[in-house]
Amino acid sequence: MNNRLLAKSQLSPSNQLYSAINLGLKSTAWVLVAIIALAPLLGVVIGLWPAVELDWAAISRFLGYNGLAYSVASTLLLSLVAPLIALYIAFMVYSRYRFNRRWQSLEKRLAPLLSLPHLAVALGLVYLFSSGGMLWSVLWGFIGQTAPEWLGLPRKSMLTMILAISIKEVPFFLLIFSAIGRQLAIKQWLLQGRALGYSENASWWLIVFPVVLKQSRLAVLAAMAYTLSVLDISLLIGPNIPELYAVVLYNWQTGFTPDEQTFAFLGNLLLIAMLGVLIACIYIHERLVTKQLANHAVMANPLNITWLSGVFTAWLGFFSLLTLAILATFLLWSLGWNTHSTFNTANWSISLWQDEWFFMQGPLLNSLHIAFFSSLLGVGVTLLALELQRHNKRYFPDYLWLLAILLPQLSMVYGWQIVHTSSNASYHSSWIILSHVPFTFAYSYLVLRGPFQSLNRHYELVAASFGYSPWQRWWKVRFMLLRPALLSAIAIAFSVSIAQYIPTLMIGAGRVATITTEAVAIASGNEQSITAVYILVQAALPFIAFLVASILAQRTRGSVDAEHQ
Amino acid sequence: MMWQTSKHANIRSRIGFFSSFSWANLALLFAVLLSVLSVSPVALGNSTLKETISELEASQQWQQTLKEARGQTVYFYAWGGSKPVNDYLRWAAREIASRYKVRLRHVKVADISEAVSRLKAEDGSKSAIDLLWVNGENFSYLKAQKLLLGKLPSAIPNTTLLATEQLSLHNDFGVPMEGYEVPWGVGQFNLIANQSLFSAKNPEQNSITPADILSAAERNPGRISYPRPPEFHGTTFLKQLLVALTDSDPRLFALATPNAQQQLLPALWHYLDKLHPIIWQNGSAFPSSNTEQLALFTQQQLDLAVSFNPNQMAKEQSEKRIASNAQRLFFDGGAITNSHNLAIPKGAQSPAGAKVVIHFLLSELAQKHKVDGSWGDPAVIRPLLDPASTLPAQQELHSSWQQVIEDTWQQKYGA
Repeated sequence: MNNRLLAKSQLSPSNQLYSAINLGLKSTAWVLVAIIALAPLLGVVIGLWPAVELDWAAISRFLGYNGLAYSVASTLLLSLVAPLIALYIAFMVYSRYRFNRRWQSLEKRLAPLLSLPHLAVALGLVYLFSSGGMLWSVLWGFIGQTAPEWLGLPRKSMLTMILAISIKEVPFFLLIFSAIGRQLAIKQWLLQGRALGYSENASWWLIVFPVVLKQSRLAVLAAMAYTLSVLDISLLIGPNIPELYAVVLYNWQTGFTPDEQTFAFLGNLLLIAMLGVLIACIYIHERLVTKQLANHAVMANPLNITWLSGVFTAWLGFFSLLTLAILATFLLWSLGWNTHSTFNTANWSISLWQDEWFFMQGPLLNSLHIAFFSSLLGVGVTLLALELQRHNKRYFPDYLWLLAILLPQLSMVYGWQIVHTSSNASYHSSWIILSHVPFTFAYSYLVLRGPFQSLNRHYELVAASFGYSPWQRWWKVRFMLLRPALLSAIAIAFSVSIAQYIPTLMIGAGRVATITTEAVAIASGNEQSITAVYILVQAALPFIAFLVASILAQRTRGSVDAEHQ
Repeated sequence: MMWQTSKHANIRSRIGFFSSFSWANLALLFAVLLSVLSVSPVALGNSTLKETISELEASQQWQQTLKEARGQTVYFYAWGGSKPVNDYLRWAAREIASRYKVRLRHVKVADISEAVSRLKAEDGSKSAIDLLWVNGENFSYLKAQKLLLGKLPSAIPNTTLLATEQLSLHNDFGVPMEGYEVPWGVGQFNLIANQSLFSAKNPEQNSITPADILSAAERNPGRISYPRPPEFHGTTFLKQLLVALTDSDPRLFALATPNAQQQLLPALWHYLDKLHPIIWQNGSAFPSSNTEQLALFTQQQLDLAVSFNPNQMAKEQSEKRIASNAQRLFFDGGAITNSHNLAIPKGAQSPAGAKVVIHFLLSELAQKHKVDGSWGDPAVIRPLLDPASTLPAQQELHSSWQQVIEDTWQQKYGA
């Protein structure tokens, strides 16, 4: 109490001027934040504005599209199940690794595990594990037989899709947990759990999981929204009788007959509705789980899931092996290996690398500078948004801030493109950076909100009592405490910017080629050797970002790390 | 309001551009007409053709185009999924830079519909696209929306070389080109098969019938597939089957009346009902595209791939990606043949540069490099026509059939 009075009394001399400046600054900041956060909405409204007359006949034709119900249902199932599986696995891994020597090695290896693009995981999985795939052929080759058909992963199926996404999202959730976990007094909770007679494993589930689940709501939502609308891997390994919804929608959106245009409009509305269903599912799931766990705690029932956690002690080893196998496959492809060659007969050559390297440098530099500026801007605006809300003592609903992740990207960017071209703007890369900021902002908001809200204010009060000004307190205390989470946020925002294809191409009009615009175009041709070259280079960029972030993060400590370790 | 006025201003300046050069235009047209009328195209010798071209190149209109093009950058939107094509365009960019002082920039897209959607957003005003690689429904949409620059053949000397009659290059999937696009290469639908697939066939014979495919599928269950329609290779596969199963019924080449649909289509569905249970994944999944099918073929998951490039198999073999004893086959009645083309948007910022690029891409040098290099795409100009390597052509179906086939396929097998 005394401290707070002290802090206030320091402001009083220039109070009026201070508050006037403050008001001006604040409203400017609100406008800036609102522009970035609402740009996706603006884009979608302009981009989706129906260009064709809607009538009931068209709507009934849309609803009568063969397989629509099945597509929607299977896509919803996929978007619900795959991220949740990943969430549970990630939590089990986290609980097995957190207070253990293994945690250090996990944090170190998270970088390479995170930076493999989804497409690479999907390609690698089917190449290694499908029937007739490399791994089974080699294993069965030892005993001189061919692998039975049923053992292999189908090339295109729901199962393959669920597997690929849930495998790929685990490291993402681990990164989120690691950022959340730094702010929670998990160690103390576990001790309290033990004092109440629960095993450590049970305490993880009964005490930690409900909190983590709530704090990672946004991350789950992001993963679900991604799964709902992902196109490239849906085309490659998704079932296509019927097709996944993203593919159906893409076909309408890229068709230009009046019927297809109408369907594209209605289809986008349906996509937003599907997202609403998923959001509802997240809350329902959370509530069910919390209730179930509370029941368990009260009744002291044994938790069946705890024995499963044990399996995931080996996760890091397995996942590292998988990543290595996928990387090795791509490296071999890029050096000329294919199914028709043995190790002796392959046309080994680095000519592909030499050929392409010359043409890659420009796109690489573009990718780097766009990602650098857009991630810094995104994280900066996020901090601003969080600070402003804290001052107002009111936090807006999360989905308002995550519109860039939630709304359909193609229509959104199409809307921006209409604004951009009609205002006769140039195609300079600063426009591309701007077009990436809503996305880097949304993802860094997703990472930072939890840590920011659970910051322990105690330290700032202490600092105030020592006479630090508000700015000094912010910089020397709050910023420093947030640093590990900020680093994760920057790394994620960086890799999000690297991965943007649609905004880069549509806003930059192809003037500014990035490694991703090149890689996506190349990958559309399914030529494995050249695709491998570009995917490896594309994966190297986020790898560097995550690596730098994790090295820096190990040197800094978060607020709770400081308290509880 | 602002952008509307600027749009009008834009159009007016464009009209001005054309009217001031209309006399040159006329002269060029006259020269073209003269050359076409005086000597019949077939008999036109190479030397006369060369003379005509050099006359046209000397024309004031072309000289003016060259002058304007100097120093311009041409943004060429083209599918970027093929290394041979990308390499070819890199070569072309070097040649064009040194010959004409024009910079060619290949904007690689995963699907050309991305360019179409940009032109739609720009709505005819100043465009970021100078040149695009297009055909089929994308062209048909752009032409209908009046987003393309017309009268290309009369503005580009080397279009005189086009083998328009021999390769019937007037239409693009049933839509008349009418000068809004210029053919760049030819596609002929063919199949690439492992030798074991059609083993019963005489290895000398290189055409097949639907019955051959069915019996091969019976002998090799799970080894055949085709790209899922509406991917256009998949749709073309169905068209070829339909033509073969109905003995090239003439009604296929006219508007698809309900009556004709009722009488002709059941043969196709009856055939597919028999085929699907014994193909890859029992017809419960299909490759998403021809390139994905080719990848599955090279990974030995399938014994059949489809292609529009008649030289694709030879090129893949020379890169050692597929077995040297693979066979190239086409349908008995002939390969469905069409062209892929180049078009300039109405709002292009460097139309002169784009014309110079087209002029070069149709030159003997560029067309020869295209067919001989790693791409192997057949030439479309008369001096390089090679009847020996051209497959017998099958006339394209009337464009109305495409939608009917795709819709009904989706209805019957899509879910």
